[in-house]
Amino acid sequence: MHGRVKVRTSEEEKARKDKEKQEKLKVFKNAMQRIQEKRKNSELDKELLELSGKVLSSNPDIYTLWNIRREILNIFRKDIEGEEMSQMYDAELHLTEYCLKVNPKSYCAWHQREWVLTTRADPDWNKELSLCNLYLKLDERNFHTWDYRRFIVSQCKPPLKGEFDFTTEKLYDNFSNYSAWHYRSKMLVELYPDLQGGRPIEDSHHKHELKMVQNAAFTDPDDTSAWFYQRWVLGAVKTTISLVVYTVTPFKTTFAFSKDVNEEFVMSKTRLYVNNEIVTGEWKSCVGNQYDLLWIFDHTTPIKDDLDVKVEFEKEDKCTQIIPCTKYGNSTYIGKNEVSFQRQYSQAVVEELNNQLESCRQLLEMEPDSKWTLLTTTIVLYCIDAKKYHKEVIKNLHLLKVIDKLRAGYYDDLITKWSIEEQLCLDFKTNECRLFKVAFDERISCLPHLQYYSYCEEIDLSNQNLSSKILPSLVVLQHCRKLSLENNNLTTLGNFPSLDLRELNLKGNVNLAKNEIEMLKEKYNYKIIY
Amino acid sequence: MSFTTKDVVLKEDRPKSLLLQKHSDYLASYGLNKDDYEYCMTEYLRMSGIYWSLTAMELMDQSSRMPKEEIIEFIKSCQDSESGGISASINHDPHMLYTLSAVQVLAMYDRLDAIDVEGVVRFVASMQQEDGSFYGDKWGEVDTRFSFCAVMCLSLLHRMEDINVNKAVDFVLSCMNFDGGFGSKPGSESHAGLIYCCVGTLSICKRMDALHADELAWWLCERQLPSGGLNGRPEKLPDLCYSWWVMSSLSMLNRIHWVDKKSLEQFILACQDAETGGFSDRPGDITDPFHTLFGLAGLSLLGNTSIKAVNPTYCMPQETIDKLKLEPQILHI
Repeated sequence: MHGRVKVRTSEEEKARKDKEKQEKLKVFKNAMQRIQEKRKNSELDKELLELSGKVLSSNPDIYTLWNIRREILNIFRKDIEGEEMSQMYDAELHLTEYCLKVNPKSYCAWHQREWVLTTRADPDWNKELSLCNLYLKLDERNFHTWDYRRFIVSQCKPPLKGEFDFTTEKLYDNFSNYSAWHYRSKMLVELYPDLQGGRPIEDSHHKHELKMVQNAAFTDPDDTSAWFYQRWVLGAVKTTISLVVYTVTPFKTTFAFSKDVNEEFVMSKTRLYVNNEIVTGEWKSCVGNQYDLLWIFDHTTPIKDDLDVKVEFEKEDKCTQIIPCTKYGNSTYIGKNEVSFQRQYSQAVVEELNNQLESCRQLLEMEPDSKWTLLTTTIVLYCIDAKKYHKEVIKNLHLLKVIDKLRAGYYDDLITKWSIEEQLCLDFKTNECRLFKVAFDERISCLPHLQYYSYCEEIDLSNQNLSSKILPSLVVLQHCRKLSLENNNLTTLGNFPSLDLRELNLKGNVNLAKNEIEMLKEKYNYKIIY
Repeated sequence: MSFTTKDVVLKEDRPKSLLLQKHSDYLASYGLNKDDYEYCMTEYLRMSGIYWSLTAMELMDQSSRMPKEEIIEFIKSCQDSESGGISASINHDPHMLYTLSAVQVLAMYDRLDAIDVEGVVRFVASMQQEDGSFYGDKWGEVDTRFSFCAVMCLSLLHRMEDINVNKAVDFVLSCMNFDGGFGSKPGSESHAGLIYCCVGTLSICKRMDALHADELAWWLCERQLPSGGLNGRPEKLPDLCYSWWVMSSLSMLNRIHWVDKKSLEQFILACQDAETGGFSDRPGDITDPFHTLFGLAGLSLLGNTSIKAVNPTYCMPQETIDKLKLEPQILHI
């Protein structure tokens, strides 16, 4: 029961109401019994239409009654034609309208309306569109009405620009209309994609949306609707899948990707060459899923020493990229690609972003504790130049943890993610070691982008804020031999993945039961420090 | 434009502890009086009502208070021999929603043998359309809720191979929105209840990778209001059932720590009725079995140990899911 307040009533009042209910119930039960009898006896007639209509008028969610009505109408339309049938359909629409007044969220009533309009030969779509306009005036957030509007549009196909303008109109009525922002997002990518550049939204429109949504957000910074749309518009950049690192050992090669890919993708896009000969083998996902971030390639015959190893990767633009590698030790070859998390905008959009940053900063000066202004400032900074503004971004996120305490966990993970991205770019450019160690002051709370470090032999995650829920993600550390999780918040090891380790450090996890460690020791024969 | 946050204020005299005995009593007596007005008027969703009550009872380890044999007989009598589908009640028509509820109940009772399983599989598979979507029944309503019903139902029966899983996934993904969320069909606005259905479908089909996890989980954690309660869409009032839809989705996304657990727990507890037992949508409203289940299940996800562990994908006791050897996917973090 939604939104029904419990009211205290006197005994007398209660008795009166109970009696009223019992009477209503008697009528209801009689009607239902009569309906079911008639249906059993195949008396699908006008009387049954009337009976079921009466019950539905106050109980629009009894789905079976709508089914019965459709059965009746399906029979009628075989024999009745023209005006007479048209009137019956009109009456059915009228009933649904009545029911929607009783319950504007009745799935059944809305569906019946759709059924009538797609069944009858003479639907009046314009009338339906006007009805939607009216209903959306009464409740601008009823998602059933919006869905119904989309259904009508799909049937009568008016110019989409008109629908786009409708959202503009609704939004200028009230910016706090998330439903309209949502609809607008669909129209925008449909009407104005950037066909040449491959970006989701064409430049001038991207700029226009940024302006409009900022105007909306600034009109009422406490309303959340526009901020969500703004965050989406800010993130509307082209993303591609890249091969980030591969690690060749005698028996297997691992390939790490920037996004989850499937077997078909890796098989068709990546080729491993030794002395200019393609290496054959079998692919398997690291986790055992259809799509994965890390793929393992088991070589048919082992790769031996001192060879010329390289990998070819076919990018989304169909160009083939050759990723060279460096030899480590006797028989390991690691090829790192260039990595960047910087979002790529056009010059025009970057200019607009800088203007917006300026406005955000001004607003923030007036209201330094405004969560949404601070969050947006931070995201805009990240979008314009994540590297240049990194320190300011992290400082802001710490401030957000205080202002917006409910979501402190989110900000912690965001600090981790963006700090790791910073370090990753550096590690991929300059770090020749096969070691990953957190090189910033923030304590990490999760392990984003861990597949980028799949090539490492040593992973030092000591003195962080990691809980046991991160353990399954360690499975990408396929070449790790020495792993430290010293001084974290581990509580259980039940989900620790199978890894080819030599040494695992679990010291200083004070809430980790001894028997958990004993169990791990029994399972694996590597050294466990605790 | 003046604007105030839509939220409720928790009163000082609200319930602050979990009233398990009250809830068990409430559910045990619910429907004992077959002439009760509310009970009769909700006949069209009886099968789901049984699922809500039984699951809540299971989570409280009180399911022995439910009339097991009577329920099983009732389910048997609701299966349509022709289509194989199951209806909400006797003399109602088969539908995906109630077919799922019936299968869930029988799975908890370990009595799936009581119905014609082949019939159920036939019914569910026959609802799949060319684009991968599912009808609710033969009348053609399409909704992502029915996609979830289909995969949940068939996975509980270990019969996923009877539908086109890839197409089912593709359809659900075609409902993804700018905010990373999902609606009831392509183009529909994001809504926490439907997000649960879509994320649940991907969890069962082991395609959680296809989600924009950070965007979606951020949108979900932004559902938390100052009262601690969660709403289902931006600028809406909090409602206890979203404690389930949002928190189960966040659990599958492995990001449950993005909401403030303590204040959510306070909100959930405040939705109890200390007199009648049961939970309501908001403090001070009338209770019902639906909100009672989602209140208890929400508390279970928050780690309350006086309630059994609930599986975030299936909204059934974890022990049932383990027994069936099902492993719905949880995202790595």
